[in-house]
Amino acid sequence: MGRTDKMNPLLAFWTKYQKQIIAALIILALFIIGEIATGHFLSIDQFFLTVKVAALVAMFGLCQMICAASGASGLDLSVGYVATIAAIFAARFMDGKNENMLVGLLVALAIGLVAGAVNGFFISYLRLPALIITLAVSNIIQGIINVYTAGAKIDGKPSPALVTIFAKMTGVFPNILIPLAVMAIIAMIIIYKTKWGQELLAVGSNETSAYLCGINVKRVRFTAYVVSGVLASFTGVALLAYMNMAFKDMGSTYVMPSIAAVVVGGVSMAGGDGNYIGVILGAIVLQTLTNLFYALGLGEAGKWVGIGVVLLAVLIAYVREKKKR
Amino acid sequence: MAILEARNIKKHFSGVTALAGTSLSCDKGKITGLLGANGSGKSTISKIITGVYSADSGDVFFEGQKVVFKNPLDAKKAGISMVFQNLSLAPDMKVWENIVLGMEKGKGIFLDNADARRISREILDRLYPKINIESKVSALSPGEKQIVEIAKALTVKPKVLILDEPTAALEQEQVRALFRYLNELRSQDIAMIFTSHRMNEVLELCDDIVVFRNGENVGKLDFSVDKKDPDRIVEMITGQKADQATRKVYHDLPDEDILEIKQFKYGNLLEASLKLRKHEILGIGGLAGQGQELLLNVIAGAVPDARATAVVDGKEVPLKSPKTAIRNGIVLVPGDRNLEGLFVDNSVYKNIRIPKLALKGQPLFTPDKKYREEAEEIVKRLNIVTSSIDNPVGNLSGGNAQKVVVGKWLPFDIKVLLLADPAKGVDVIAKRDMYELVSKMAEENDLGVIVYATDNDELISYCDRVLLMFEGRIVAELNKEEITDQNLVAKSMHMEPKEASV
Amino acid sequence: MTETKKSPFLPKIGKLLKSPSFIVICILIVMLVITASLQPGFFKPNTINSNINSFAPLILLTMGQAIVIIAGGLDLSIGYATSMMVVILTNVMQKDKPESAIPAILLAFVACILVGTINGLCVGYLKLPPLIVTYATSYIWLGIGLFIAPSPKGTCIPWVRTFYTFSAIPNLPEGLKDLSKILAPGFWLIVIGCIVWGIVRRGRTGRYIYAVGSNRENAYASGINTSKTQLKAYILCALFAFLCALFYAAQNQSGDARMGNPLTLKSVAAAVIGGIALEGGKGSVYMGIVGAIIYSIVTKIIFFADISSSYQTLVAGIVVLLAVSASLIFKFIEKREKLKVVK
Repeated sequence: MGRTDKMNPLLAFWTKYQKQIIAALIILALFIIGEIATGHFLSIDQFFLTVKVAALVAMFGLCQMICAASGASGLDLSVGYVATIAAIFAARFMDGKNENMLVGLLVALAIGLVAGAVNGFFISYLRLPALIITLAVSNIIQGIINVYTAGAKIDGKPSPALVTIFAKMTGVFPNILIPLAVMAIIAMIIIYKTKWGQELLAVGSNETSAYLCGINVKRVRFTAYVVSGVLASFTGVALLAYMNMAFKDMGSTYVMPSIAAVVVGGVSMAGGDGNYIGVILGAIVLQTLTNLFYALGLGEAGKWVGIGVVLLAVLIAYVREKKKR
Repeated sequence: MAILEARNIKKHFSGVTALAGTSLSCDKGKITGLLGANGSGKSTISKIITGVYSADSGDVFFEGQKVVFKNPLDAKKAGISMVFQNLSLAPDMKVWENIVLGMEKGKGIFLDNADARRISREILDRLYPKINIESKVSALSPGEKQIVEIAKALTVKPKVLILDEPTAALEQEQVRALFRYLNELRSQDIAMIFTSHRMNEVLELCDDIVVFRNGENVGKLDFSVDKKDPDRIVEMITGQKADQATRKVYHDLPDEDILEIKQFKYGNLLEASLKLRKHEILGIGGLAGQGQELLLNVIAGAVPDARATAVVDGKEVPLKSPKTAIRNGIVLVPGDRNLEGLFVDNSVYKNIRIPKLALKGQPLFTPDKKYREEAEEIVKRLNIVTSSIDNPVGNLSGGNAQKVVVGKWLPFDIKVLLLADPAKGVDVIAKRDMYELVSKMAEENDLGVIVYATDNDELISYCDRVLLMFEGRIVAELNKEEITDQNLVAKSMHMEPKEASV
Repeated sequence: MTETKKSPFLPKIGKLLKSPSFIVICILIVMLVITASLQPGFFKPNTINSNINSFAPLILLTMGQAIVIIAGGLDLSIGYATSMMVVILTNVMQKDKPESAIPAILLAFVACILVGTINGLCVGYLKLPPLIVTYATSYIWLGIGLFIAPSPKGTCIPWVRTFYTFSAIPNLPEGLKDLSKILAPGFWLIVIGCIVWGIVRRGRTGRYIYAVGSNRENAYASGINTSKTQLKAYILCALFAFLCALFYAAQNQSGDARMGNPLTLKSVAAAVIGGIALEGGKGSVYMGIVGAIIYSIVTKIIFFADISSSYQTLVAGIVVLLAVSASLIFKFIEKREKLKVVK
């Protein structure tokens, strides 16, 4: 009775992490293809460079993952402009001085908190579609930025310490990987080990069951968007340090890739899934793919077609798999 | 000669026999009543005839020809229309659009809407003129929706009309209108199969009846020859075991209420109050869909709009969320296991752990080690067959999955355990195990149990008291020895057995 | 029945007041009045002409978007699909070769059918989630567009320019000339769109689009081929993108693979403002036009109210937020009636 047939541990590992393993294998395959085709693709430098660029997408990907995990077709299109406005104000308050770093950071996070709360209120408590609400909030923030920049110049600089953390390299090693690793560890612990993380995944995988188990579904989903907002503003500060300046549309190009990273990483957009390692791998896959297409001389056109086809393939593969059950 | 005949139909659903070589036939200009308890195979045979399911073996003959339909539309075009219990309406569309849906006639490249309106109006004028064909289906009452569903079956004049519990959602006046119309159809030589749980309706309307029990055709009464004897019909439905299936042992009930639900009213859907004693197993019965599950949901705090209040063990508790209910010891095992009870993709362990989150004073970090031990113990105690507690619960059999839904509440300080149709899709042994566990828990842990069961056997074998519901109200109460199959069937159908017998 | 015969008018008014369309149209009228009072010469032919032309692309795409939303889907690839078609049109056409317009239009049309078919197959037959899958295909359209025109380029031969302005036709009769000054080609494209949808709506496909969006399983139970219906809806949507592409090609006379992108989410928002619920099965494609006009006019008002143009996106965002929240009122009414309706 009970545990009769113990599963082969290797098989168990595979079934649990297959999507992440597949993502890692895709990265490896892309590097090998690149090496064969161009002769100078597979190297430590190249790898770290890829990861460095992917890191920011992965950070935004965490926002998307948390919103998606909360279910109800969750996503957050406002992360780009939340990051931008956070960066603009952080730059202003930091003014390139280390002693102002904390103030700048706190202002940025506060902005993210408010934006996330607005998203969460409309999506969770009023049950309106996340796609439309986060888009509208995104527009509003973009509008605020426009109004602000119409009256004042964007100036200020990130604090040098932040620049060291997010933009500089130590040898071939990009420093940004350290905060990303810290983020990943904290995210994994929060999602898999804490009460809130458990509630989040429960709400995403079956809202009705979660409600009947006594979970406050609305509050959990609300906090998911608040967390997403705060993380987006934090990423905005990272972006500020990375670019060493703030400008009007600095965050908007990251929104769509961050969603793609979640999908390619094998994390379900339908909710209840929270493996952040997958998202990081997804971001790296996308970035490697981009680099590969540039290296092959296919340029942007090839890159976008490639990303689209890979996304489609992943969707077909994973959704099919779900139906079999 | 019979216009429609199904011969020796066999059908299994994942190992469970739904139909064991069953036959059914009907004649022109006659209404054949099809009777039987829940799960006796009435709906299944209708669905096989109209092509919703395919039979494992056996044949269907229509006008002397062997027929196999791909889907209900096929059957409808051939002349066999079925009115489904689960509605097939598009809620955002108008009544007349729904009536012709799938059967639209074209006029050039356009649809002939004038004709569609005319057909709909004609059918409804004779059936139930009160419905405005221009209103949206979502704005109709359940009864009116059912009537639209019936009208939908009549767009192409059928030769055979199968009605699967058409009156379940209807109001009295609508039933009268429907019967008038069915009589009219009968005079037009249309053959009809009429399924209903309501005895008086069957006696009034049908020319003959067929009774199904456990997937078998157990008898036929032709009212032109046989007497209309309700007692005999009830006996046929339940089998002879009716009197034997009563249970001998009941719980000793201390004179102490564990739960009281104060009188409340939820729109027009539900109006009830009840008391539950310690150690008591209270059954909720009646025809399916009379508000039983809603009542359990209200008690579990899942319908805050009902604004009901409970007194649990002397303490007044507003039933405003499942969380409050759980914290006060009221826990629910919901009816739809996969949709409401489980997190199918998650492991057994996670399913057992998640409800803990509702408790007060949960630490920030989940004490996994402690909880895993607890989960292992539950698995052991309930004999849940699984390779490990990390196995996704979706891989478990129905019975074992159900044990997880019940088992996750074991570590809690339960005062009231609510079970909504806990034996649905569960095999006999698992069912017995579960009821025995519940019964033992009731005595040992000082709790009260409320169980809604669609199967009368469960009510008879395990309950100390049974409340029967009808249209959202509690209409009858049976105590201990009164809980017999005869009584349950009669009272559910809203009919006194003694008065009705001649 | 007798009741409705006694006073056929009054209950209808009550119903009208409760209907979402009525409120949306009221909002439109208020907006138009405000704009008319702010914009100098609002009723002058030239102004009407330019207003129609500036609203036309969003209106066309919103109509297409509305169709797939009603069918229970969503199309996030509509913007890039449009720009891809613009790029094809403007790059196949060659200056000084009027006949090159024919293969250009044919090729763009083939692309349009392909776009609709691929999206429709993924959503209708493979049953992939519309939101993500059309987002994925949007990258493919973008890539193809960039492949043809890595940077904005292309040309448009004169007679094709009639899709933007009738002045492209040299010898237009005087009477028509005056008319064309008021009713710009953008207007006629919308009329074509309305006619196409009007025909489809009155046929089987239109009926089934509503049925599938309203409840897919029930529609299937009624014998409707739900997969095919959704495929048709996506092809129709792509047709509207094609009309929009013709307009853009004529207007800009060059193709930019990214130009249509901002319109994607705007078209979804405009459809929602027009009372088309994202759950599907509800609303009217024509109300999508109203939604699109409201969305576009907000920008106009800001422009003419002498508020700094930097407020445009801000106000547009707030309008969307308010409009979507307003839909809650109807849900609330519906819920209350449901509780009441049960005897």
